[in-house]
Amino acid sequence: MWDSAEGFFGSYYLYWISVFLFIGYGASLLTLYLSGILLARRSIKRTKQRSVFLRAEDIVSATDIPSVTVIAPAYNEGLTIVENVKSLLSIQYPYYELILVNDGSKDDSLQKLIDEFDLEKQDATFITQPIPTASVKYIYRSRKKKYTHLTVIDKNNGGKADAINAGVNFATTELVIFTDVDCIIEQDAILKMVRPYLEEDDKEIIGCGGGIGIANDSIIKDGILTELRLPHRLIPMTQVVEYIRSFLLGRMAWSEINGLMLISGAFGMYPRKRVIEVGGFNPKTVGEDLELCIRLRKHMEEKDIPYKIVYLPETLCWTEAPSDYKILILQRDRWARGLWETMSLHKDLLFNKKYRQMGILYYPYWLIFEFGAPIVEFTGIICIIAFTIFGWINWPFAILLFLATYLVGCVFSTIAIFMYIKSFDHYTKPKQIVELLLAAYLEPFIYHPLILFGQIKGYYKKLFDISSGWGNMTRKGFKVTKSQQS
Amino acid sequence: MNEARILLFIAIVFLVLVIYWISITISLIYRNRRTSRLNKIENTFADIVSRYLYNDPVNPITLNEITARLKNVGIRPKNKNNIQFLIRLMIRTQRTILGSNFTKLQQLYTQIPPYGVSIKKISSWSWYRKARGIREIYEMNQSQYFEEIFKYRNDKNIYVRREAQIALVVFLGWESLRFLPYLERNMTLWQQIKIVEKLYDLYPKPELKWLHKAYKTEKLFGKKLLMRIIRKYLLHGEVDYIIDNLNHEDYEVRETAIYCIQTFAVPLSTMAYIKELYDEIPNATQQGQLLTYIFENSDIDLDFYLKQLYSDNDELKLSVAEILWNNGYKEKVQEFYYQQYPNSVLNVG
Amino acid sequence: MRKILVIQEDIVILKIIERLVSLNGFDCKAIRSLEALSIEDQQTNFEFIITDILFEGIAPLQFIAQVQEVIPHKNLLIVTNMGQDKIKQEIFALQGITGFYAVPIDLDEIEAIIQAY
Repeated sequence: MWDSAEGFFGSYYLYWISVFLFIGYGASLLTLYLSGILLARRSIKRTKQRSVFLRAEDIVSATDIPSVTVIAPAYNEGLTIVENVKSLLSIQYPYYELILVNDGSKDDSLQKLIDEFDLEKQDATFITQPIPTASVKYIYRSRKKKYTHLTVIDKNNGGKADAINAGVNFATTELVIFTDVDCIIEQDAILKMVRPYLEEDDKEIIGCGGGIGIANDSIIKDGILTELRLPHRLIPMTQVVEYIRSFLLGRMAWSEINGLMLISGAFGMYPRKRVIEVGGFNPKTVGEDLELCIRLRKHMEEKDIPYKIVYLPETLCWTEAPSDYKILILQRDRWARGLWETMSLHKDLLFNKKYRQMGILYYPYWLIFEFGAPIVEFTGIICIIAFTIFGWINWPFAILLFLATYLVGCVFSTIAIFMYIKSFDHYTKPKQIVELLLAAYLEPFIYHPLILFGQIKGYYKKLFDISSGWGNMTRKGFKVTKSQQS
Repeated sequence: MNEARILLFIAIVFLVLVIYWISITISLIYRNRRTSRLNKIENTFADIVSRYLYNDPVNPITLNEITARLKNVGIRPKNKNNIQFLIRLMIRTQRTILGSNFTKLQQLYTQIPPYGVSIKKISSWSWYRKARGIREIYEMNQSQYFEEIFKYRNDKNIYVRREAQIALVVFLGWESLRFLPYLERNMTLWQQIKIVEKLYDLYPKPELKWLHKAYKTEKLFGKKLLMRIIRKYLLHGEVDYIIDNLNHEDYEVRETAIYCIQTFAVPLSTMAYIKELYDEIPNATQQGQLLTYIFENSDIDLDFYLKQLYSDNDELKLSVAEILWNNGYKEKVQEFYYQQYPNSVLNVG
Repeated sequence: MRKILVIQEDIVILKIIERLVSLNGFDCKAIRSLEALSIEDQQTNFEFIITDILFEGIAPLQFIAQVQEVIPHKNLLIVTNMGQDKIKQEIFALQGITGFYAVPIDLDEIEAIIQAY
């Protein structure tokens, strides 16, 4: 067996080369995560200190603050559309508009909106379209004074990105927020999100994101999250930990060094002017949020205008996470394809000095550690199987190494949970914290393999050009209770 | 690396894990206690202030009672966090009230803790404490410390200089505008907003001589600030300053000018001048905003709109067409679109 | 006794207005949200409702529309931190609003209104 293996692979050196490559990759990742924790800690502290000088209650009373439009695309959301719109309408901001784009729904979404909000049809002939989109049929506005902030755009189907672009065309405000119609946005979210724009000094803010939380099994009343609960099932509960780690550590750390390349499509704010300049979202990719962010950065680099993309540590938007493994795999498959497409679309960035840090550091990081991680992991599994067959593995040592790596992972998750509960009061019950920690410690065994499978599936589809769209992301729906008054 | 070393590494990592578990437990206990403490302070403060402002002649609240009650809920020199929370409540309350109650509240604040906490913060090396100290001083109107604050107006830290500049406005009012041409560093949008609001709340009567002196400023942030002041105070006589900036070379100055002009209606001759400036604006979105202003504030000037309709600016043509279409000039719009295409394409004639 | 309902989330403002109202000879019901309103309160015809517009779980305009619908009252005064002209116009467009006061406010004005009533 030994001889034949050596004969097959060339030499035993292959074993050592791969061992050092994996250890090198792991060590680099560990270093990056450690630096990430330090940067995130600094960033969170600074954000908190700054917020003392500009509280939401100061902004809510101010004049001259930028106007904001929330743009939410909807396709066949008839079951929950009325609740969703009411939820989005309850956002508190003095200069606020809501544009709901009905992207050629085949169900009764539009009729439900017309009935509930007493909408009146208006002509759409003269709508300017700085970003080309599928044609707009009509504009709808409410006859009721209490819904004066609501506009519904009814257009032919063109996909999520196209629908958002139509909303951007119609908006007249300085800032636009993109969200999913079924997201629950904190009422004071815009007041907090505009803070960086109000405080921008020598660098223009071209994007601002906020933390996204998971609200499966929480109590929703009239479209408002009234009681945050932890999901009952392990898969969404593990995603709570994953999101906390990703938003609180990852994004805050990148924000600190102005290296953010992604603002989640579920909740992000941009200056409308800049979005139009770059031509809006790209409808040809399923990773449109990442792609827009990178394109905006490139645009600013090319125009040589100092800019910044920022993230707020607070959870400002709540969403429903995939609740079973099938939907989770579909979601990660789509994310992986989006990443592949975006990396490929912007490959000119790689080590391109013209784009400064973005070309030298941020893009290579994304390529090696975000795009490359599933490939390295998958290769690792194959190597372990192969090396086991050839009997090259020193098992007692390997088990200890695995235990050490596992514990390091547990430490990162625990730090993220600690920082979250120290900064925010969303999860305050000891039982919740214990559950979160347990979910974090079980993650590598139950949850992570599923994610890896989804990612590899996505890459496989791209590699062999197997066509696949957004994937049908069926949601279970929040636990909804209606108020007595309504 | 051998197994013993890995075992040592595992032990260290596990120890770190245990430390974080303990930290989480402490954090949870602390949060619970803190929340209930803060609620107590807030409720007590609310009761004290309401009784002080509207004192019951039968059962009046005394200063001794006030200090004793504050002490009971933890307002003591050693509890710095509690004192800081009280300061926040005091500022928050004072900012919501005007008139005689404002004066009464200031009287109360001079007699209760915290005594002189804010001025100590100013000498701190930390920008955060320094800026907070300045803020507390101007919010509590402690004008005796003005000299201390004045020197920070050009500080390199954005928060320190911002709070110092706002303090200037709070203490000097309109006269503070004379420093505007000499400010060295940029002023953020929030800083401008806050200055305008403080000026408006505390000095509602305009003093134009200081405004005119400030017109000398070449700083872009200065121009934007002055336009916002003119808008807030509805200074019709000063609108020319805004109009002169409509075609400024800087995008943001133009943006502010277009935003501010929308508050004012102008005479025909001025509107004619604005229409001239319209062509000099190099950005279509901004032209669109000004077009809306022109349309909403003047009668239909067919020549002006037709000139825009037949210009090279494709982005604005639809807006111009919409205005003409909805205001009795459908045939002009049709004429324009028909002549875009030869008759054979349109299958007419 | 004539009754006034005060709805303010900020406890300090709530207490101050409550004292102001009580010392002027009115029976005052002071609450921090509509949830605290009893069925009995919903049947009382209040002389005044003095309320904010910023509450958890509901848009400002919808809140006012809901108050107008569910609580019988003769006068509705708005005292709010979100007091921009635009909001004021939108609130008055709902009709049936007696007064709109943006914070910072001179409480003597509120006192004068209820005293004159």
